[in-house]
Amino acid sequence: MKIALAGNQNSGKTTLFNLLTGSNQKIGNWPGVTLEQKRGIIIGTDYELIDLPGIYSLSPYTAEEEVSRRFLLEEKPDLIINIVDSTSIERSLYLTTQLLELDIDVIIALNMTDILKKKGLVIDVERLEKELSTSIVAISALKKTGIKELIALIKSKEYRKNYHQLIFGPNLEKAIARVSPYLKGNHKRFIAVKLLERDPLFESPQIPSFEVLISELEKEFGTDIEEAVANQRYEYIVGIIKKAVIVHDVGVNSSEKLDKVFLNKWLALPIFVVIMFLVYYLAVGVIGSFTVDLVDGLFAALSDWTRSSLAKFNTSEWLISLIVDGIIAGVGAVLNFVPQLIILFFLIAILETTGYMSRIAFFLDRVFKRLGLSGKSLIPFIVGSGCSVPGVMATRTIEGDKERRMSIILTPFIPCSAKLPIMALFASYFFPNHSGLVSAFLYFLAIIVILISALIMKFFFKGNSGAYISELPNYKLPNFGYVFRDVKDRAISFIKRAGTIILLSSVTIWFLLSFSWRFEYGVPVDDSILASIGNLFSWVFYPMLGELSWGATVSAIQGLVAKEQVVSSMAIIAGFAGDVSEGTMIFSPSGPFSFFTSSNAFAFVVFNLFSAPCIATIGAMRQELRSTKQMMFAIIFQTGFAWVLGVAVYWIGNLIGVLL
Amino acid sequence: MFFNKNKKTNRLKVGEEGHLSDLQLNQKAVVLALHNDNPALRRRLLDMGITKGVVLQIKKIAPMGDPVDIELRGYELCLRREDMRQIDIKVLEDENSISRQSK
Repeated sequence: MKIALAGNQNSGKTTLFNLLTGSNQKIGNWPGVTLEQKRGIIIGTDYELIDLPGIYSLSPYTAEEEVSRRFLLEEKPDLIINIVDSTSIERSLYLTTQLLELDIDVIIALNMTDILKKKGLVIDVERLEKELSTSIVAISALKKTGIKELIALIKSKEYRKNYHQLIFGPNLEKAIARVSPYLKGNHKRFIAVKLLERDPLFESPQIPSFEVLISELEKEFGTDIEEAVANQRYEYIVGIIKKAVIVHDVGVNSSEKLDKVFLNKWLALPIFVVIMFLVYYLAVGVIGSFTVDLVDGLFAALSDWTRSSLAKFNTSEWLISLIVDGIIAGVGAVLNFVPQLIILFFLIAILETTGYMSRIAFFLDRVFKRLGLSGKSLIPFIVGSGCSVPGVMATRTIEGDKERRMSIILTPFIPCSAKLPIMALFASYFFPNHSGLVSAFLYFLAIIVILISALIMKFFFKGNSGAYISELPNYKLPNFGYVFRDVKDRAISFIKRAGTIILLSSVTIWFLLSFSWRFEYGVPVDDSILASIGNLFSWVFYPMLGELSWGATVSAIQGLVAKEQVVSSMAIIAGFAGDVSEGTMIFSPSGPFSFFTSSNAFAFVVFNLFSAPCIATIGAMRQELRSTKQMMFAIIFQTGFAWVLGVAVYWIGNLIGVLL
Repeated sequence: MFFNKNKKTNRLKVGEEGHLSDLQLNQKAVVLALHNDNPALRRRLLDMGITKGVVLQIKKIAPMGDPVDIELRGYELCLRREDMRQIDIKVLEDENSISRQSK
């Protein structure tokens, strides 16, 4: 059995999905549309649950609605679980009326029933069930109540069957009845309504005097049918709510009190800056560097132990070198940063679940609009500080095509978690007492880069700007179950990358570093294959490094594979397994990176942060832009901008150095 | 009047008609009609519950004056003023003037 989970944004859909499926989840793509989806198996059953994007309607006006609609119409799920936020039931049931027009049974999971009382609402669930003529289970995804009952109802198959209640006025129902017989296949009622609404995605049918029918209806309603249908849906819902819901006045709620502070005319911006500063300062600065030292010591010990134990077994020297100087050095250099990332992921997940993100989008929209963006662009940017790939995908909620495309290209400018090792490595070595400050500064630099790029890109991108339509949800206490799960998933995926893509690249780098073009092992590094490749391109980085360094060149190029690979590569090239992140070994006076000073180090970090993102992100950009040409534009733009900025930083740094 | 930039002088009175974008903090109004200049936007507004006859109230205004947070149908929706120009309304109540009278 295939079950779809559908509901509005902020309705608690993800929490319910996690509760219903436990750990049996996988992420994949929908056939036909390349869009990430989550699938899972409902606990104690063999039913497959598919998580649809959060939507308000089945109109095809955002990418997400289009996908949900296609899934429901083409993939033929056997059942829909419609999650409804009981505290904003009137708007939520609008989607329900559309789902009930499909030839699919619907169970309503009436969520957030635990806070109804606080909101002054009383819902007569039985009455609501009778009026809507579909099964309802009152639940609280947060408090985990009603979940067993919901699963039991699905298993028993004793939920109400969908027999298509006639919810519209007599004229509209008559028109639907006239159109339906001409339709073939499933979902006749849904398609009939869409045809009357002149939905562009359905072919105009061979129905005698169809145009006459429509114009007669329009004359009668005094509006077009699209508006009449929406009006009648809401009239129907209001009628039901009058019978099944009682509203008491509870005065000003706590969200409004909080908004008096967080959305205050003078305080909003300073509070935002302080919160974002704390997030990155905590992750990269104080707590972060402490944990890195800890893990770093472990890897140094592991490396020494491996080297000596392998030597005991007379292992050949090249194998020891491969394992210690290649694999442990490369993978270890990246794994050092896992504790920092966990802190960063934790803080971002908290921001995401509290409802504060919608506020940031709300109060910064005015600024972003000036730049040709939308307030909603901020959400991909913040998600992107974890990983650019979901960040780029989060642009889907942006209405306007122009704003969306610009946001897709700008999101990779935000330093993602894979860039954090680069920042942390250089900051802790060259600015040991201010590493947190330097990292926080780099994030604010990213914001400035985005602002300037947006102003430049405004001239390249034509097209209509969209509207800003967004719900302002109530503040919620962070759901720690969700937060921990999210942090765990992201940390595991980072570690997995270290075990796969970074491992593979490390072995490759070790190989290219250990052999010459004539395949002689153990040549001096300057004669290695890697060195000769690096020497070909090292002139590119000369203006920002003041040095022709093949090592820095090949490391920066490897950022295309994965940004953390820059650090891995430098660690391997420096040729030492232990104590990598401390920077002492990588930048040792006799090593290949001894030429780094604070100004060219800063320049190199800036280049790596803002140049073309990793392959995975480039792929996501290609997919979301739906244009290879625009993707190429984006990469060239990003890399060019990064290069100019890197050179500028180097020379400004030198100038400051001279003046001081 | 040239130097009087006090916005409150433009505040719509109860019973007056105008665009939703003219409505100010704490004013309550009923929707009379939606324009059809931008069909996609109109569809979206309808979906979010802005239909003829619905009562709404301005609850919050972003620190920089735009967008605006509107309460309707038991939830809060944020819109830009330029998009709110698509909606005709009639003022029903003004909580500011009520509180002033009660004082």
